Amino acid sequence: MATPTHDVTAAAAADDPAVGLRAVRALRELAERLEVLQVASARRRGWSWQQIADALGVTRQAAHKKHAHGRKDD
Amino acid sequence: MFERFTDEAKQAVVSAQQQARDLRADRIEPVHLLLALAAVPGPGREAIEAAGLDHHRLRTAAERSGTALDADALAALGIDLDQVRAATEATFGPGALDGGAAPRGHLRFTAGSKKALELSLRLAMRRPGRRVIDSGCLLHGVLSLADPVVVRVLHQLDGDPDVLRARIEPDVA
Repeated sequence: MATPTHDVTAAAAADDPAVGLRAVRALRELAERLEVLQVASARRRGWSWQQIADALGVTRQAAHKKHAHGRKDD
Repeated sequence: MFERFTDEAKQAVVSAQQQARDLRADRIEPVHLLLALAAVPGPGREAIEAAGLDHHRLRTAAERSGTALDADALAALGIDLDQVRAATEATFGPGALDGGAAPRGHLRFTAGSKKALELSLRLAMRRPGRRVIDSGCLLHGVLSLADPVVVRVLHQLDGDPDVLRARIEPDVA
């Protein structure tokens, strides 16, 4: 079970790969979902793919390829 | 291989698709088979219920820590998923955080789920008499995998996969 406050470093740098990898997967999944929301929001506000890419620290091509599919404004 | 399945075992396999969809998974994982076995009447569900578990409790535990967006793992990192969810919904609308991964079309079995089906088939073949795969065999297959998510969900409910498996052993082995 989770122990929200005192085990933060324990999970982040867990000696047990099962615990550590599970933490990494959970973070990645959360980051992916937030990225989808934030990129869509930025596009609605008129941000260019270059601006979004710069903010995310990736290339414009990478940002466009990952997020532009099926969007009618692209 | 499904020709050897009993009707309720077939139903469980079909239900696993729905369980996966309900949890917004993009594949049918062993935990979805477990949830299906708890939902469909038959020897599998009887064993699960005899162990003091039921579909509702398993489903709640799976929601908590059996999906990719793993609330317990995030809590251990100091991230309160409920707060993140509330904040994103306040800005982007209901279901914003969970809507992105809505699965579409026919979901496929993961390698682990296929393995569970194989294990249950193998078990049924060892059984004397009628070589059919019922939902007890399926449950046995799912539990034999030692899939980390299944183990986690059961542990969360103070269930032990080996004890549960032993419970159906006399019938199937």
